[in-house]
Amino acid sequence: MIRNYFKIAIRNLRKNKLYASINIFGLAIGLTSCMLIGLYIVNELSYDKFNNKANRIVRVTMEYKMSNEINYAATTGTKVGPEFARTFPKIEEYTRTFISTSNVEYGNKLFNEDRILFADPSFFNIFSFNLLQGNAETILDAPNKIVLTESMAKKYFGDENPINKTITVIGKEMIVSGVSEDSPKNSQIKFDFVTQFLNLGNKVKREQWWSANWITYFLLNTGDDITQFEQQINTYMQTDAIRSQAGLEGESYLNYHLQPLLDVHLKSDLAGFEPNGNMTYIYIFIIISLLILLIASANYTNLATAQSTSRSGEIGMRKVMGASKRQVFIQFISESTTITFIAAVLALLLCVLVLPYFNSITGKAFTKLELLQPIPMLLLFLFSVIVSFLAGLYPALVLSGTNVMSVLKKGFRSPGGNGILKKSLIVGQFSISVFLIIYTMVILQQMDFIQNKNLGYNKDHVVVLPISRTMFENFETFKYGLEQISGVQSVTASYETPKFVKWGDGVNVVDENGEHTIDINAMPVDLNFVNTLGMKMAAGRDFIQSDFALMDTTNNSVNYKQPYLINETLAKQIGWSPEEAIGRTIENRASGPVLGVVKDFNFSSLHEPVGPLLMFLGRNFSRNYMVRISDLDVQGTLGHLETLWNERTNSRPFNYHFLDEDYDTLYQTEQRSAILFSVAAGLAVILACLGLFGLAAFTIVQRTKEIGIRKVLGANLSNIILLISKNFLVLVTIAIIIASPFAFFAAKKWLQNFAYRIEPEWSVFIIPVIVTLLVTFLTVGYHSIRAAIVNPIKSLRTE
Amino acid sequence: MILQIKNLFKWVNSGGNRVFLLNDIDFTVNEGEFISIMGPSGSGKTTLLNVIGMLDDFNEGEYAFLNEPVHTLKEKYRANLYKEYIGFVFQSYHLIDELTVYENIETPLLYKKHSASERKALVADMLDRFNIVGKKDLFPSQLSGGQQQLVGIARALVSSPKLILADEPTGNLNSTQGTEIMELFKQLNKEGVTIIQVTHSESNATYGSRTIRLKDGMIVNN
Repeated sequence: MIRNYFKIAIRNLRKNKLYASINIFGLAIGLTSCMLIGLYIVNELSYDKFNNKANRIVRVTMEYKMSNEINYAATTGTKVGPEFARTFPKIEEYTRTFISTSNVEYGNKLFNEDRILFADPSFFNIFSFNLLQGNAETILDAPNKIVLTESMAKKYFGDENPINKTITVIGKEMIVSGVSEDSPKNSQIKFDFVTQFLNLGNKVKREQWWSANWITYFLLNTGDDITQFEQQINTYMQTDAIRSQAGLEGESYLNYHLQPLLDVHLKSDLAGFEPNGNMTYIYIFIIISLLILLIASANYTNLATAQSTSRSGEIGMRKVMGASKRQVFIQFISESTTITFIAAVLALLLCVLVLPYFNSITGKAFTKLELLQPIPMLLLFLFSVIVSFLAGLYPALVLSGTNVMSVLKKGFRSPGGNGILKKSLIVGQFSISVFLIIYTMVILQQMDFIQNKNLGYNKDHVVVLPISRTMFENFETFKYGLEQISGVQSVTASYETPKFVKWGDGVNVVDENGEHTIDINAMPVDLNFVNTLGMKMAAGRDFIQSDFALMDTTNNSVNYKQPYLINETLAKQIGWSPEEAIGRTIENRASGPVLGVVKDFNFSSLHEPVGPLLMFLGRNFSRNYMVRISDLDVQGTLGHLETLWNERTNSRPFNYHFLDEDYDTLYQTEQRSAILFSVAAGLAVILACLGLFGLAAFTIVQRTKEIGIRKVLGANLSNIILLISKNFLVLVTIAIIIASPFAFFAAKKWLQNFAYRIEPEWSVFIIPVIVTLLVTFLTVGYHSIRAAIVNPIKSLRTE
Repeated sequence: MILQIKNLFKWVNSGGNRVFLLNDIDFTVNEGEFISIMGPSGSGKTTLLNVIGMLDDFNEGEYAFLNEPVHTLKEKYRANLYKEYIGFVFQSYHLIDELTVYENIETPLLYKKHSASERKALVADMLDRFNIVGKKDLFPSQLSGGQQQLVGIARALVSSPKLILADEPTGNLNSTQGTEIMELFKQLNKEGVTIIQVTHSESNATYGSRTIRLKDGMIVNN
């Protein structure tokens, strides 16, 4: 029986190739998006689950109040681990961790590696990173031991066995004590090398509550009662002994929170080693894929219902021969199942094809093999079953309800053919499409605004060269060397680049209005900073060579003065006009004069308004040279830079990036949303139009006779086109009216994330409206024209 | 006695007036009869046939089929009754276009829970009997009208019904084909199948044992 159903389903597909391909193609796209997004979500939800002891591991985060401000951080001081492990028996083991960069050298191989993990020896006991060689107990028990991942072992040692070989890392010779599998991509800690935490040097050897730069994990004896244990810790933190140790007075406090390891990636606001995932992102992903699937299902429902006219004969006949309503219902559900499963197979192929693009949108690295794992396959199967019913339900109900008499009567019209459901589905499909188009337009306009906004400095053609401490000895001669290269216009150096200043600090000012203490961001910079980055002065001047004379370290630094530049916002917060600020004394690291006021520039993301910023002359903090080059012969200039670099330094490989590219990475999340929404909007429109295309074709078959008669009576081409297009255009217009306000508010809400944003213009609405109507008209018009140019004699004869 | 109809009325309301499609129909059909229903267009022939076949319902009166009171039966039971005992033949054949000759004949059996081997045997019998074995894999569109009607009759007979209802079975056929079909009906009737046909043609009516003439929904002679 079932075989008979599938057989007739397949034959019907062959007979109606257009509908079949629209349906299969549409459902395949819907299923593809569901499957890929399912894959993404499964990966997000599986974060850190590979750890056998995952439910007993917690990450310690810090909450503290100093000077009336409550702060949170995922990093803690060096004391947290050892002190709590000594005090509370609930803690079985602890590990403090930090990831840093270093040169790694073996034989003639020298690379700069940026995933060197420093961790306490219990690291491999707490986390379940598989060791291919070496024993977890002893693998990190001496300061000169280092563990490599499999791919690093291959990179440095090739086919050699790396165990007990000596390799130079952080300037020390270390012995390879083990090889671990590469860290899984759903791990919050991703490393290439692991060595002892204490190798970070003197700054970590002393236990202290502050200088909190390290991420601490605990392995507890049970995963229960974490909240109570947290209270216990914080009670301990309130004791007088600890408060005085931590230098806490009055209202100030220092508390700790314990985050279960499995909650860190998706539920924590505090990023650790890598940006956290985001539940919101996951919800958006789910909604978008379901919307696309819904549009495709609606196509199926509409086209299958439209065909019921031609199928009613068959169904009537089956009923005359004794088929029950249930049996006919099952027949049509098997038909939608057949189509969906063909679509599922196609979806699997599509998944494989678009996987690389999907990876670049999500920033993940899924492989084709992962698609064939049980979970994605199960998802695909599940979605196929759901869609079979969702899409097939209404047609099956309509068709199985067909009256037996219909087989005997001529001129039967399908009950669902012109129904409210069909119209609502079309309106629904186009509402979703229009919503997505408008929303995407707004995102794209904002991204364009971000890229072209005048930041207050010129980010183009600035080469950033990261430098290391060992290079300070030759800092000046090297800088001079850079300046001499043809194509280089000017050179400066700083701790951070101006794209995103994270250094938080405070400044003290005493003037006629009393004393101000202001929280600021600070930036140690070298000479020529303002000039090189193309900033504008509101008053005063840039740092010059003679300013170094102020920083007098002779005589125990009694005459030491620190020269400062401030930005306009800081001047305003203190209560000075730019001109008034010049020459005033402020105090940050030491007191010193303000030499210039820089016009405000955006030194953090455009999500935030410009805050107060202090720049101090501090060459020894530099981590980057910033080199402004001419836009002529960029490659040639880079070549000269590299030659000079290799001549002058042997401690670090040549490595450069462009400031404007760094800037763009700040908005990677937004870039991804932009791509995601563009793709979703495109798919939605294509699918909705495909459905319309099929329906229009069908309508015209149904109305061939009517069109023929109208032509005989004198209707011309445009009358006919209008006749057919009118209904569809009305529906699409309704969709536009429904979707626009929603899209407008949603876009406004998204824009509120930005301190610097566009006002959505009318074009954001007008362009999608025109595009949608035009596409609708073309879709429907194609069939209309074909119908309209047929000789009426022919169309009348076919009846 | 296969069926008995007593004082049967069927009407539709049109603008406040009651228009009678069937008006006080009263007759009995015995096993082995071959009845022709005749009358002008719109006289209610097809409606009567559909009522007999339980495809259509009626407003008043009694209808007993094999002593079961059809007018009081539930829809499902009624469906079982006609599924079991009645075969239909139509003027325009109503074969399912997507199925082959073999599959078309097999379809009624699918809805009656015959095993696969039983179905195979029954369909093979039919193909044999109507000499269409060679056409079993063809689709309806590949057959002539006469051949299609042959398949239609084979399909109606495959589940061995007691009663065949034929609505102008030769209406779409040329005279030679029509005669063949009527001869076939005569043959079937001899083998014991009761037949009721609706027809326009006096010559076709002569194949029957009795003629019921309708006019405006009423029986004018019996």
